[in-house]
Amino acid sequence: MWNKDRPVPSYMQGSTRRVGIMTDVHRRFLQLLMTHGVLEEWDVKRLQKHCYKVHDCNATVEKLEDFINNINSVLESLYIEIKKGVTEDDGRPIYALVNLATTSVSKMASDFAENELDLFRKALELIIDSETGFASSTNILNLVDQLKGKKMRKKEAEQVLQKFVQHKWLVEKEGEFTLHCRAILEMEQYIRETHPDAVKVCDLCHGLLIQGQSCETCGIKMHLPCVAKYFQSNSEPRCPHCNDYWPHEIPEVFDPEKEREAGISKSNKKPLRSRQH
Amino acid sequence: MPRGQKSKLRAREKRRQARAETKGLEGAQATAAAEGESPSSACLPFGGEPQNLPAADIPSTPLAPQGAPSTTNTMAADSCTYPDEDSSQDEKNATSSKGTKGRSGDPLNDKVVLMVQFLLQKYQKKEPITKADMLKLVTKNYKPHFNEILRRSSEYMELAFGVDLKEVDPIRHWYALVNKLELTFDGTMNNEEGMPKTSLLMIVLSVIFMQGNCAPEEEVWKVLNMMGVYADRKHFIYGEPRKIITEDLVQLNYLEYQQVPNSDPPRYEFLWGPRAHAETSKMKVLEFLARLHDTIPSAFPSWYEEALKDEEERARARAAARARTAAAMASARSRAMARNFSHTK
Repeated sequence: MWNKDRPVPSYMQGSTRRVGIMTDVHRRFLQLLMTHGVLEEWDVKRLQKHCYKVHDCNATVEKLEDFINNINSVLESLYIEIKKGVTEDDGRPIYALVNLATTSVSKMASDFAENELDLFRKALELIIDSETGFASSTNILNLVDQLKGKKMRKKEAEQVLQKFVQHKWLVEKEGEFTLHCRAILEMEQYIRETHPDAVKVCDLCHGLLIQGQSCETCGIKMHLPCVAKYFQSNSEPRCPHCNDYWPHEIPEVFDPEKEREAGISKSNKKPLRSRQH
Repeated sequence: MPRGQKSKLRAREKRRQARAETKGLEGAQATAAAEGESPSSACLPFGGEPQNLPAADIPSTPLAPQGAPSTTNTMAADSCTYPDEDSSQDEKNATSSKGTKGRSGDPLNDKVVLMVQFLLQKYQKKEPITKADMLKLVTKNYKPHFNEILRRSSEYMELAFGVDLKEVDPIRHWYALVNKLELTFDGTMNNEEGMPKTSLLMIVLSVIFMQGNCAPEEEVWKVLNMMGVYADRKHFIYGEPRKIITEDLVQLNYLEYQQVPNSDPPRYEFLWGPRAHAETSKMKVLEFLARLHDTIPSAFPSWYEEALKDEEERARARAAARARTAAAMASARSRAMARNFSHTK
């Protein structure tokens, strides 16, 4: 007999932390989040409310952070968690279900062939090594001869790159490719470990940095949303490291309220592409 | 002199234990972010499917390509572990310190983790699962524990995801993952396709019904737009609505999507598909509609009448089918009895 709300068996209990109780509300939420891969915070909150409505209309909607921590406590021993991040270009909070044990490239592994995965690896390296966090289509395609596995023509490679975009691993802007925010969330660990020297890190939050702004004097880098928060209402922005004048345009802090009022959905809006370096 | 492998592993274990002790009630998110090195199987990324690999030979994740790791990462050798997997790394690691505080310390758990990941992938792709597939995930040493691994994995799938692992073919050992969660609005519909599509389907079915059993595509979108579902916009529950209603649900025989005859430029219309007729009814759809509008079916007199007629017809069809079955059974029985009688004579 399956008891929906039974307590978690001991082998599922990971750390000393209290393990929460999963109800159908949490399960449905998890299923839907999994289906989407990555969701913005606004959509995540709507999703949560929807799950409550479906299963348990009378219960008070738990605070999102607690709700997610509850789920994560049960997922902990599976080395899976709902991870929160922020988009690099405009600071939107996002959530994704990520694997911690293997790098989530195991998710990619079942959707792509060996030569396709190798193409992704090559593109990833170019992106990480680049100054701007973008790799041009041309440069990626020029590496097609070096791919492992079945030989791939450039035409095919173009389509594979589009497949990566569709599956939310890469993002394309004007013929150049960078990592989708989901890929950054899921692969941060893997990227740090496989490119320990080339990888860039934000001076403020210490997170992996693909796109951002740099200090022209001392070279430190910061994420755009980190810059926005750090220099908010500061008329004379200075580098936190060397104190030199910060020469770049300071972006605005992301405001979910403003976003909703404008009634613009993410799919319609063309995000600003800041390529300061 | 660079540190040897044993020394590195011991140091890492010490650091991990120290960290786990101070972990206390910290949120998993914070610790997962901070523990940069701990779940560090970074050496074998972008692996091929489990089916391609002789699982027994590869000490760490079976989701890995055969042969040497592809990266230039010199840490590759000793990062091929799960946090506590040292004890299950048969060949590789000399120091096998099992069970740090803060983790289950159970090597079987690592296999369960892999199995659950595998099942999740299969679930999302709606692919069937064979016992052979699952066995491949389990290395030689753990084959005798396969049933336990499977049992624990199923329990996780149920508990955390509300998904049931069912053996649908006990002879060929085929399994399927079925969503246990009740469907939105109508629990009687076949739910193997996954929850999100169903309420969208009910809405489209009701529009078709309201439009006299055949709805122009524009009308369907008018209604969906009112609910914030748009053809060209990703939806936070339904994903790609246009693809779902014009392709997926059509393929599954819940809807029919056809060009309006002689329309130029081509326009399209929706009708109920045979599966919708089989699995739901006009009355059920009307009930769904009524609930949406916070009222009862009879508040829509003409549709209610149509739905009632439909119910009557269905009841008659069921009665007729029962009568036929009963008659067939009776004649089969009498034939069998006649045979027996003639044998025993």
